Amino acid sequence: MTDGEGALRAVLAGAAAGIERAAADLALAEEPSRLVAALEAEPERG
Amino acid sequence: MAWKDLCHVPGLPTSCGTKTREYFVDVRECEAVRRLRQAGAVGLGKLNMTELALGPFGDNPHHGDAQNPWRTGCAAGGSSSGGGVAVAAGLVLGAVGSDTGGSIRLPAACCGIVGLKPTYGRVSRAGAMPLSWSLDHLGPMARTVADAALMLGAMAGHDPADATSSRRPVPDYAGALARGVAGLRLGLPENYYFDGVSPEVAAAVREAASVIARLGAVVTEIRLPDPQPLTDVASLITWCESSAVHARIVRERPHELGSVVRARLEPGFHVSAYDYLQAARIRARLTREFVREVFAEVDGLLTPVIPEPAPALDQVTAGAPGEVVLRMARFARLTRPLNGLGLPALSVPCGFTASGLPQALQIVGRPFDEATVLRVGHAYEQAAGFWARRPPAAPSPDVRAR
Repeated sequence: MTDGEGALRAVLAGAAAGIERAAADLALAEEPSRLVAALEAEPERG
Repeated sequence: MAWKDLCHVPGLPTSCGTKTREYFVDVRECEAVRRLRQAGAVGLGKLNMTELALGPFGDNPHHGDAQNPWRTGCAAGGSSSGGGVAVAAGLVLGAVGSDTGGSIRLPAACCGIVGLKPTYGRVSRAGAMPLSWSLDHLGPMARTVADAALMLGAMAGHDPADATSSRRPVPDYAGALARGVAGLRLGLPENYYFDGVSPEVAAAVREAASVIARLGAVVTEIRLPDPQPLTDVASLITWCESSAVHARIVRERPHELGSVVRARLEPGFHVSAYDYLQAARIRARLTREFVREVFAEVDGLLTPVIPEPAPALDQVTAGAPGEVVLRMARFARLTRPLNGLGLPALSVPCGFTASGLPQALQIVGRPFDEATVLRVGHAYEQAAGFWARRPPAAPSPDVRAR
């Protein structure tokens, strides 16, 4: 592994750790496919 | 008009910025391009881009670096670099770009034009090369907000060929522009968006907010839910999905890729399914929370697009691939969270630095409320007048492809 790859792996590990913290209290029912539904939940504006 | 070279258009090769002339093929024409052509647009051809849309500076080792029309040697922004340059230089009236972490807004900001990343689901991605299907957006690049509104009106709308395409009706974006900004509540973020931003950029964005306030909007400071988790989510998802999409060239022909693009694609092969799925799960919740908290207080946000004016290309692309990738992440840190959120975000010119480089304002709105985002952009643009300035007509003699 080069120095450059090591730096990127470190960034990746940091991102994964951040997600782990943010997901700590994620609801059991949360699915990965709900983004468009979340966006469409906002009422339409004229 | 012209199209980023990741849009499949019958009869034209689609290199996606790679060495391979026909890297991407599809059974159907890029739907956004097809709709624009159906609406009467005349296509002039394809536009240069960062290799595989992976990079915010506009460099390309195979087709030559896109040159910033305002200053040779400065980054044009990427990855829709050719769109930024061609529109700014007056070669085309508009361009179709793609935006996975800022790739429409960054070149728009660097080149002094208008660029819109619509809401996720607003414009079909069918017929365009995917980089990260969870974060990819197609959108217009144009000289004025009115032109961008006209283009979006033609490009937007449901398409069964894109599973994420929304069925929401398409409003008359251009017709709503003249409604002005009186009474709109707009927020200047207290956190994240001005952290580490150059004083000149911050001052330009705050001055633009003052102009918008004088037009009748109520501009207040607002504390946002921390965008950092969204950046983590968007980065990790992009790493995984781009590695999956482009695995074949990475595995079979890595020597054909630039060293930085290879470095960008490699980490995605080492992410666990657990991390990827947690990122995808947390994203919807973060979006719901952000929308609920922020848009209860304001109708839109005003932020910088780039943390510094267009940097010198040879400086930001120098060094080991790992260093360059980290520099890329920093340059896109103000745009990438909006890809995670899927919210509409517009880049509008908001002046020039003391050395003559373009400055840019980012206007963010509610889901599917491009109409308000465009209204604010149009009102500001017409009041400020920066849109009328043009870069030097003739390129400097040292412009050349590698």
